[in-house]
Amino acid sequence: MSGAARPDPGRQQDALAASRSAAGPPATDPARAAITPLAVAARAAGSQQVILLLVWIGMVVGFTIANSIFFSTAVFSNILADWGPTILIAVGETFVIISGGIDLSVGAVVGFSGVVAAFVMQDLTNANQGSAETLIVGLLVALGVGLGIGLINAILVTKAKLVPFVATLATLAAASGMSIVLTGGAPIAGGPADAITLSTPRLGPFSSPVIVVIALVLILGLFLHKARFGRYTYAIGSNAFAARAAGINVSRHLTRVYALSGALAGLAGMFFYLRLGSGAPTSGAGAELDAIAAVVIGGVALSGGVGQMAGTVLGALILNTVTSGLIIVGVAPNWKQVVVAILIASAVSLQGLRRGARSQT
Amino acid sequence: MSASETCLYEAQGVSKNYGSVVALQEVSLPVHAGEIVGLVGDNGAGKSTLVKVLSGAHQPTAGSVALEGTRRVWKSPREAIDAGVETLYQEAGLAPHLSVSGNVFLGREQTVPGLLGRLGFLAEKAMDAKAHADLERVGIAVPSSRRSVTELSGGQRQAVAIGRAVAWARKVIILDEPTNQLGARQAGEVLHVMRAAKAHGLGVIFVSHTLPHVLEVSDRIVVLRLGRVVADRPASSFTPDSLLGAITGLAQP
Repeated sequence: MSGAARPDPGRQQDALAASRSAAGPPATDPARAAITPLAVAARAAGSQQVILLLVWIGMVVGFTIANSIFFSTAVFSNILADWGPTILIAVGETFVIISGGIDLSVGAVVGFSGVVAAFVMQDLTNANQGSAETLIVGLLVALGVGLGIGLINAILVTKAKLVPFVATLATLAAASGMSIVLTGGAPIAGGPADAITLSTPRLGPFSSPVIVVIALVLILGLFLHKARFGRYTYAIGSNAFAARAAGINVSRHLTRVYALSGALAGLAGMFFYLRLGSGAPTSGAGAELDAIAAVVIGGVALSGGVGQMAGTVLGALILNTVTSGLIIVGVAPNWKQVVVAILIASAVSLQGLRRGARSQT
Repeated sequence: MSASETCLYEAQGVSKNYGSVVALQEVSLPVHAGEIVGLVGDNGAGKSTLVKVLSGAHQPTAGSVALEGTRRVWKSPREAIDAGVETLYQEAGLAPHLSVSGNVFLGREQTVPGLLGRLGFLAEKAMDAKAHADLERVGIAVPSSRRSVTELSGGQRQAVAIGRAVAWARKVIILDEPTNQLGARQAGEVLHVMRAAKAHGLGVIFVSHTLPHVLEVSDRIVVLRLGRVVADRPASSFTPDSLLGAITGLAQP
């Protein structure tokens, strides 16, 4: 993690030294000096996602060899169902971490928004509302709860000037506490009976919620990489002072980023509801750590300003594949955490090694 | 005075107090179109405060600033920027993870036409091309404006930061320690860019501790000491020793 947190100083000097040595005599055209590190960097950035993809394919092959049951629509459908909520909050986390912050509250928001939505849907069902209307209202409630907590995070960070880690740790505690208080710890069921059928695969291993999630990830990926919203997110994480000096309203942008993260966590809460048919207060417990792990494995630097949506997508997919795969090959599920630890350590040290290799060019 | 009629940008009798601390006392600093004014002084002499007043970051306690003869009250740096006064702060620098053109257009991105543009989708190619042309126009050769700033040398970064400010400045450009921590050749490039800005008719205010650079490029030098202007003369009338004497107050200039 510390390797990813310090991408700059050494690298800058090395790049400077590299461009000097490549330039030879001082009078050489600076354009020539620039080409070598540029080409190497471009290659390295491209291969980041390629390595992750190869790792994922390797896992699929390995698990299939260990137990051929693994390679089936049912298993992939299950992996995607796990991936849905993980990727939703990992996408929000990608924006937050690229902006230089962190959002620890998302796991608790998943549980809390699911619980609140479950209560509302229970009431509506008891009042004999149709299941489609009830589910739409439940979806809006879950989104609203997530958005609200995201806005509280934003106020704590931009107005109260709390460090994001502390601000979102506070809302994590508040949201998970409220979930337990409201429910007494038990899942809230009694919503539309056909909710859970939405989560059955419709198109190969893809269920409707998974298809919605994939569409959302594509759209948000475009906003991260192609639109002003993403540009400001990178700029603030890269150098907030420069962003402010350039006339960007940093507080307003960060507010939107934390609101987005909260809303996506709310959506993940609804995703869980559709899978379980109930709102469980603990349904997102620890999910923030999975999301952060996915983001870090995907190559997003915790220091801000660096990362790709494709990396996050693959990072989350690798995590969820490990979870299902270990169960299928008969390894005790608790080993998952150990495998995740190895994945994080190797992904980050690989990034560090490649940076080193790049600066020696 | 007839001189004030041709004056492009001016601090007029500016005082600035922070509580009981007097940072500036009745400071006047005019800059004309096509002129480089060197602003020097020891640490705590009030250079940074004056830059903040001129850039719109702070309001003066007394006195005023005037752009092209019209008194202006900047409520924010944005207002000064919109009126054509660009400032390059020493600390601000660039966003290292963005491309050169991303930095040049930071805060003023161009979007594609139509609905996607309204959603904020960026006209990357147009900005890349325009950033390259703008930097070239002010005398900065960057091989590709799509390159990440992380891949540039320290001198190239500073050149891009200055090029960005010069390219956007329509009237005045204020440079706070632009040659700090640069090698001789890189600093030379920065001075070259300042001369190009001057040739384009901009008024340049050049704040620096590096006296040889100030003496080399400035038309006029203003010396601040303890919040007051103690000298305001053509650069050619200073020697390195007399300039140092004016700054420290240890010898009469």
